[in-house]
Amino acid sequence: MKVFRHPGVPAFAALLALSLSPPSAAQEPKGTLIFAVESLAAQTLDPILETRPGNAVYQAPMYDSLVGFDLDKGGLGPGVAERWVMSEDGLTWTFHLRPGQTFHNGDPLTASDVKFSLERQMSPKSLAAAAGSMRRSIKSIDVVDDLTVRVNTNEPQLGLPAALSRAVAPEGAIMPKKYLETVGEEEFRKKPVGSGPWRFVRSVPGDRIEFEAVGQAHWRGRPHFKYLHILQVPEESTRVAMVRTGEAAIASISPETVFGAGRGGIEVMTVPGTMQAVFQFYGTWRPAHANDPIAKPRVRQALSLAIDRQQIIEHVMAGKAGVPRPFATFAFTESLSVERWKSWSEAAYRYDPALAKKILAEEGYANGFELKFANVALPGTQFMISIGTAIADMWTKIGVKVSIKHYEWGAFPPMQMGDQPNLTGWASMFRTAGRPDAPWRYNTAFAPDSTERMLGDKDNCPETCKKFVDLYKAVINERDPAKRTALNDAMVELIAEQWIAVPIIEGMGYYAINSKKVGEFSAIPGRHELGDVFERIPHHDQKPWKK
Amino acid sequence: MGGFIARRLLQGLLLLVLVATVVFVLGRLTGNPVDLMLPEDATAADRARLIEALGLDGSLLTQYRAFIGSALKGDLGTSLRMRQPAVDVFLSRLPNTLALIPWALLLAMLVGIPLGVVAALNRGRFLDRAAGTIAVIGIATPSFWLGIVLIFVFSVELGWLPSGRMGGPEHYVLPVITLGTFLTAGFMRLTRSSMLDVLESEYVKLARIKGLSESVVIWKHCLRNALIPVLTLWGVFVGNLITGAIVTETVFAWPGVGRLTYEAVIYRDFPLLQAVIILKAVLILAINLVVDILYAYVDPRIRLT
Repeated sequence: MKVFRHPGVPAFAALLALSLSPPSAAQEPKGTLIFAVESLAAQTLDPILETRPGNAVYQAPMYDSLVGFDLDKGGLGPGVAERWVMSEDGLTWTFHLRPGQTFHNGDPLTASDVKFSLERQMSPKSLAAAAGSMRRSIKSIDVVDDLTVRVNTNEPQLGLPAALSRAVAPEGAIMPKKYLETVGEEEFRKKPVGSGPWRFVRSVPGDRIEFEAVGQAHWRGRPHFKYLHILQVPEESTRVAMVRTGEAAIASISPETVFGAGRGGIEVMTVPGTMQAVFQFYGTWRPAHANDPIAKPRVRQALSLAIDRQQIIEHVMAGKAGVPRPFATFAFTESLSVERWKSWSEAAYRYDPALAKKILAEEGYANGFELKFANVALPGTQFMISIGTAIADMWTKIGVKVSIKHYEWGAFPPMQMGDQPNLTGWASMFRTAGRPDAPWRYNTAFAPDSTERMLGDKDNCPETCKKFVDLYKAVINERDPAKRTALNDAMVELIAEQWIAVPIIEGMGYYAINSKKVGEFSAIPGRHELGDVFERIPHHDQKPWKK
Repeated sequence: MGGFIARRLLQGLLLLVLVATVVFVLGRLTGNPVDLMLPEDATAADRARLIEALGLDGSLLTQYRAFIGSALKGDLGTSLRMRQPAVDVFLSRLPNTLALIPWALLLAMLVGIPLGVVAALNRGRFLDRAAGTIAVIGIATPSFWLGIVLIFVFSVELGWLPSGRMGGPEHYVLPVITLGTFLTAGFMRLTRSSMLDVLESEYVKLARIKGLSESVVIWKHCLRNALIPVLTLWGVFVGNLITGAIVTETVFAWPGVGRLTYEAVIYRDFPLLQAVIILKAVLILAINLVVDILYAYVDPRIRLT
């Protein structure tokens, strides 16, 4: 049996022991932490009714996830389960729960609650994004004892713990079986009960959700504030004004506002590795497009060399972004030689317009070529439009005649369907979220049966497409950590050398902070939302911000 | 009178069907809510499953038939995003918008009507031009800009008022000013032109010949008559406020039906969008029906038209 024990567990256990010590009067939570956010989305506290992982910001305070975070590095760490083990045949994951956990109504959190929660997430009435994939991959769930639950899968699922961590998705949220079955779904939605460090107080539709710190110590940390109010304030200028006036302590902002917020005397906190802005190419493998300039990897590489990423970082992202690693990989990516790829990226993603022009000339495009470019911003990343406009301008400088078309996000996904006629032959903007599980993202972008299908489809899977399929299968079936890392590296290398989905910048999460309302804290790398951070935010006098 | 009301009700019903159809079609032309509800890297299978779960898997015609069938029974559907009956969601937010509207109207009348009177009495002179300038600025100022400027001045710089959100009386000041500014200009312009008509009328001349004081002539005889067209447009203004509070409610984080409309559009929440537009149309039709009935009551000739 292979035991997956996270390296952070011993240190975390020590922290847990400290947090379980009786709180002194000085540790008693006090005051109200007010957080202003652009949207509360569905504003439902029933985890099966919220679809987007990003919306977990308001559910995370009151629900714990089966698998948690590595708080310092990002990626996976212990959660409700303190460790998880895969069977030799790879068809079973056994999760060992930490003892002594309770729900807010006093019921103990046991393996039955875990089984109930996962099955509820997989049920037909669930709107959870991963409900379908969970149903396809999970065969059955067994309760071994109160603190042990076994998840049986249809085939080896090395990525299952990641899928049940809020580092990736919200479907690992644990709900109280007994309470939910007793009061029914309707009542549960009105008076939800979780096991997190904050209990639900009330939800005012379209306005706010209020929480109160639980009385006892919690493994995620005991909140320093007595109350937590999450406000929906759609207008960014208003959110920043609220932070300046002290009506809110923290507000989510975009990079466009970073300069202004800094000038207004507001602290700006960044969360590293929350996303990559990417330019990519659909359907270059289709025979009808075999002679397109962008069907040639070297031409696509030249387009990358023409991009001055530092300029974009400085002028579009207010200096609060970084040079990316290869597509969908970050410092916290699991089973990857992250340092190797950091060095590779620094060289590969350099700005070298002279070389770009030379490559174009060698490929027969000394006078450039015409390129259609679909520019789009995904939800929450409006700055992608500016990035897209900037790179179109940079491509123009090496002789490429770019005709740019801007799309509202709602109009873009339908173009990915079918034969992708409106995207094939085009370059287009896209985004990939900061998640630790690279193979999963690669599968959704490059597999022949995926939505994006950037290497080929089921009827026409050229050589690179076949190589990817083989590598992906090998990665997800390889349980030896060293071999898996080697395979993951090979998969990343295959895609990186195709220049088919090319990162432009590694983006961050941005927050405006009133330093007189809250003390210094750091977010979880890769985790844009602060839902799992609120309990660790101190009062301003407990840890003043460094000037 | 009965026939008149029945005719108006029938016209209103036909208009509602037209509104419902236009909203149904236009909403669906802008994309699929599933694409906004799922992460960008969701699989095709995840997408298909959610489409089915939300009941969006039928043809457009099938969905339209189901929508009209349910609407005729008073069921305007369930919000895709909130999983609650769309009518309930609308009604839960309506009081918040209705809490703003009377104050905005009051502000507009208290400022706009006297300004209109002053402008009419000083026709062509400095005060008229000044009032005209104020009216033009009021009409031309975008509410999102005005709201943000007010927040910057009165919340951030002076610290006198909160930046937004519902709360005590102090929370109403900036949204009411923002919402009421456009109306103030409208009331001012209408009162001025109406006053100018009345000031030229025979009965005003007669009142002056009779030796009534100028203040009685203006404020009692002129203004009361000049306000008739102003007050008939009051209904239209209320309708405008209900439908036009989107920007103000968004800037000030006010959880009313204006912001609900914005959210329904942004998230492609078709049932909610349909319900919001239809219910707003019902409100406006009802207000206009009341105005029509009052008009018909006051002027019997209208019943014949």
